[in-house]
Amino acid sequence: LPLPNSTEAPMPSAALTSLRSARFIEDITSVNYPSGFMSPNPALNPNASNGKFKYDKEFLMQFANVFTEKPSVDWDSRIRDTVGEPDSARPSTAR
Amino acid sequence: STTAVTADGKEQVTIFHNKDNFSVKHPLMNKWTLWFTKPPSGKGENNWADSLKEVVTFDSVEEFWGIYNNITKTSELAQKSDYHLFKAGIRPEWEDVQNKHGGKWAFQFKKTSPCPIDQIWLHVMLAAIGETLEPEGEGEVMGVVVNVRKGMFRVGLWTRTVGGAIRGTNGGKSRTADEGKAVLAEIGKRFKDVLGLPKEELVEFTGHTEAAHHGSTRAKARFTV
Repeated sequence: LPLPNSTEAPMPSAALTSLRSARFIEDITSVNYPSGFMSPNPALNPNASNGKFKYDKEFLMQFANVFTEKPSVDWDSRIRDTVGEPDSARPSTAR
Repeated sequence: STTAVTADGKEQVTIFHNKDNFSVKHPLMNKWTLWFTKPPSGKGENNWADSLKEVVTFDSVEEFWGIYNNITKTSELAQKSDYHLFKAGIRPEWEDVQNKHGGKWAFQFKKTSPCPIDQIWLHVMLAAIGETLEPEGEGEVMGVVVNVRKGMFRVGLWTRTVGGAIRGTNGGKSRTADEGKAVLAEIGKRFKDVLGLPKEELVEFTGHTEAAHHGSTRAKARFTV
């Protein structure tokens, strides 16, 4: 295994800390979204309080530039071990 | 900005209210796992099992975007790479017992025309995690795939069955062959909409066993939409 660069574990960002401790929404109609943001299409969730929700594309796209943090503290090594860096993912002949 | 207080007196601060300090997140109906197929290294072995990598499992909208915003885009992957997004617990392999009786809707985008594959793959993933690819309770959708190949991208949606009749046992769900076919056709239609294809382009459904015998591009399609 590669040695870590420092002796300390990386600190999670504020956003990642929130993500880990946040509760799941149980009733989607109880959320009061700020102005400029819409709720999921109500037609998709007639039973809004069972904790199981469908989401339309437009609703989901609102989050695109909002959660931009790496989703785990080991993300860099996880990516390196799987997808690899974009440059290393390319074979050397493809230039 | 406004927040709502629930019955137990707790505030619901979403990521839209405060991106660095939010108290609630948006659950997905299912947990999903993102997998990646690493292209063969060209050293002579073709060990599929070693190339298929499990990247991450997630269960909220917020976490999905953290992943998407910090991972290599499809357009930047080497040839013979794949991304697979499957419901947690289902391996993206057709031989897996959960997949072997199923099939896939698929479409090939030729690279000869400009193809916004990143946007297309994003929309496919959002439809999967948003649970809008199939009618309520059908349980057909297993996962979605994008294959990066020479000259083309293929995007696929894997289903549990090939649309046949189901005999409900022990009070379980049953359906006729016509009902089964209709469910698959509805899924194909929704998939085609998500891909943004014009009416004249055809999305094809093949069973996995047919594709395994004949190869994905030569297997005869059972249905088209």
